[in-house]
Amino acid sequence: MLVVRAIKPDDLDPLLDMAGQVGSGMTTLKPDRKLLGDRVEVACASFAESIAPEKRDYMFVMEDTSKGCMAGVCAIKGAVGLEEPFYNYRIGTLVHSSRELKVFTRMETLYLSNDLTGNSELCSLFLHPDYRSGVNGKLLSKSRFLFIAQFPHLFTEKIIAEMRGYQTPEGVSPFYEALGRHFFKMEFDTCDELTAKGKKSFIAELMPRQPIYVSYLPDEAQESVGKVHTNTAPARRLLEQEGMYYDGFIDIFDAGPVLQARVRELRAMRESALSVIDGNPSVAEIGGEDTLVSNTFMRDFRVIVTPANPDHGRIALSDADQQLLACQPGDAVRTLSLNLRKSS
Amino acid sequence: MFVVRPVELADIPALETLARLASSGVHTLPRTLDNLQRAVERSLASFAANVEIQSEELYMFVLVDLRDQSLLGSATIFATAGTNGTYFAFRNDVVQQVSRDLHISHSVHALTLCSELTAYSQLSSFFMRDNKHAGDEAALLSRARLLFAAIAPQRFGDRFFVSLAGISDEKGQSPFWDALGRKFFQMDFLEAESAVDGARNRTLIVELMPHYPVYVPLLPTQAQAALGQIHPEGELPFRLLQAEGFEADEYIDIFDGGPILQAHRDSLRTVQQAHRIFAEGGELGGPLSQDPDGSYLISNTREQGFRAIVAQGKKMDDTLLISPEDLLALDVAAGEEVICVKL
Repeated sequence: MLVVRAIKPDDLDPLLDMAGQVGSGMTTLKPDRKLLGDRVEVACASFAESIAPEKRDYMFVMEDTSKGCMAGVCAIKGAVGLEEPFYNYRIGTLVHSSRELKVFTRMETLYLSNDLTGNSELCSLFLHPDYRSGVNGKLLSKSRFLFIAQFPHLFTEKIIAEMRGYQTPEGVSPFYEALGRHFFKMEFDTCDELTAKGKKSFIAELMPRQPIYVSYLPDEAQESVGKVHTNTAPARRLLEQEGMYYDGFIDIFDAGPVLQARVRELRAMRESALSVIDGNPSVAEIGGEDTLVSNTFMRDFRVIVTPANPDHGRIALSDADQQLLACQPGDAVRTLSLNLRKSS
Repeated sequence: MFVVRPVELADIPALETLARLASSGVHTLPRTLDNLQRAVERSLASFAANVEIQSEELYMFVLVDLRDQSLLGSATIFATAGTNGTYFAFRNDVVQQVSRDLHISHSVHALTLCSELTAYSQLSSFFMRDNKHAGDEAALLSRARLLFAAIAPQRFGDRFFVSLAGISDEKGQSPFWDALGRKFFQMDFLEAESAVDGARNRTLIVELMPHYPVYVPLLPTQAQAALGQIHPEGELPFRLLQAEGFEADEYIDIFDGGPILQAHRDSLRTVQQAHRIFAEGGELGGPLSQDPDGSYLISNTREQGFRAIVAQGKKMDDTLLISPEDLLALDVAAGEEVICVKL
């Protein structure tokens, strides 16, 4: 039985184990005890609401309760870029035109920007390879939207998600090789490492301050602009289903896309609803379409996916599901259909 | 014997024939009859003008073989490069990349579109019919322009530059253009050269070319390799200009990446070493006469009716002894002042 829940201090050890399997390109999940320990501490303080909303970092783990092991992790940051700069390339357009020669050229340009500063961020999603099946990935990724829908006042107007950029099967980022390497003169992983440690001043020091024309880059690098890592493609689709979209911001190292959305336009904000757990449901009432169900507690937030049919503010849940959610009859839960309704 | 003199209307047919031999994209000689006509007329007007401050004058010279009066080459100076506009070039910049935290320090080569050459005087359109077998007459044609600048400094700027053709293949493909200009102009190198008429001071250049620095490491290897490299046909003028004191490295051409050589007037050998002296005619090298002490580049000192030659001469105090034929070629009488520099 899988449940996504707010992280706890004693999750640190299994979390470290899992971070060891992540590989490069995911800046916010490095197997470093000090880094992750600090992060878990901040996350616990976030759920306890003992720090300011913009400093919060809500981390969730997916737990397999039958085996008592960790199956995945994901997080939402209250705000990015307020303590150390948050860099992206914004893709802009420059038109070079000569009436005399009848030439009109649209050029895509990369502008180094801090435009996304202050937004909330979905990040650090990792599903253990053993659990990459069925609806597990959906549950892990989408659980965060229920949290946002339950506590929208804690988030900024806009929410973003950085997606890991394209790499060749050999693990090379063509975009980095074509651009960043010339200015940083170090390996991609070294850059990634430094960024993870918050040592971002090198970006300002070494990155070209002037816009870069995309067409200067070799084809392979141009093609990887806004393209996700093969392993990340499913994650991207999930976020897009929830109302997030690519709007021309990319990672400065690997050109992975940044997805963004206005919080109030998320599917979870429009379609999720509260229901009260029925006291004595008949067996026939339990079941229905796959539904994300969360409790409404900040400190012990929990989400599961289960067949359900919330109707007129009431929902029938099995005892096992109620246990996973730490709820009992009469408690409110928030529900959202796992998949997009065809009519919407 | 060869003489360099200002172009005349009667030279136009011979110039047209000459221009046909020049590969396009490599040489900046005017090509169409119309353009030739205009250039020659502008040159005539410029030589005739009483110039106090240089502006849009153009001085066109021709190299003539006195034996048969055939026209062997031509060369031009524009008083200011940016006449009717800004002269655009790429400046070679070095961007220092330093991160103290990471102990990183390196530099990145960038090209910046600049207009600094606008006020310079520009040597251009050097072309010889047979530059493979050219001897001293090549130096004569190239340097005569600078002798003219030495006798009429008010007609020119303090600084001179020459843009030499960059690398392109026999089909007119330029690797530098393909990596850069083509992306903005959306046309072939030769098409673009003909669209701007070989000029670098047209408004459309600033409309189309990149305003932000071009970081060289981002360019394909072939384009990087072409930076500042000259077309094989440019070897001869390049050698002559380098010997003259022109320096490459600071600027390159925005189209083909060829080198732009530049120098301050006073650092040019011809200008620095040229001095006025009285010419005397006489026999040299005969049994009863003086032996010449070397070859001289000599011109008269007239802004109108300018003539320059290379001749054997013997310097004695304040006179230069040259043959009577040389006096004739220079169109000077014995005892008249000339300006000369050792070749």
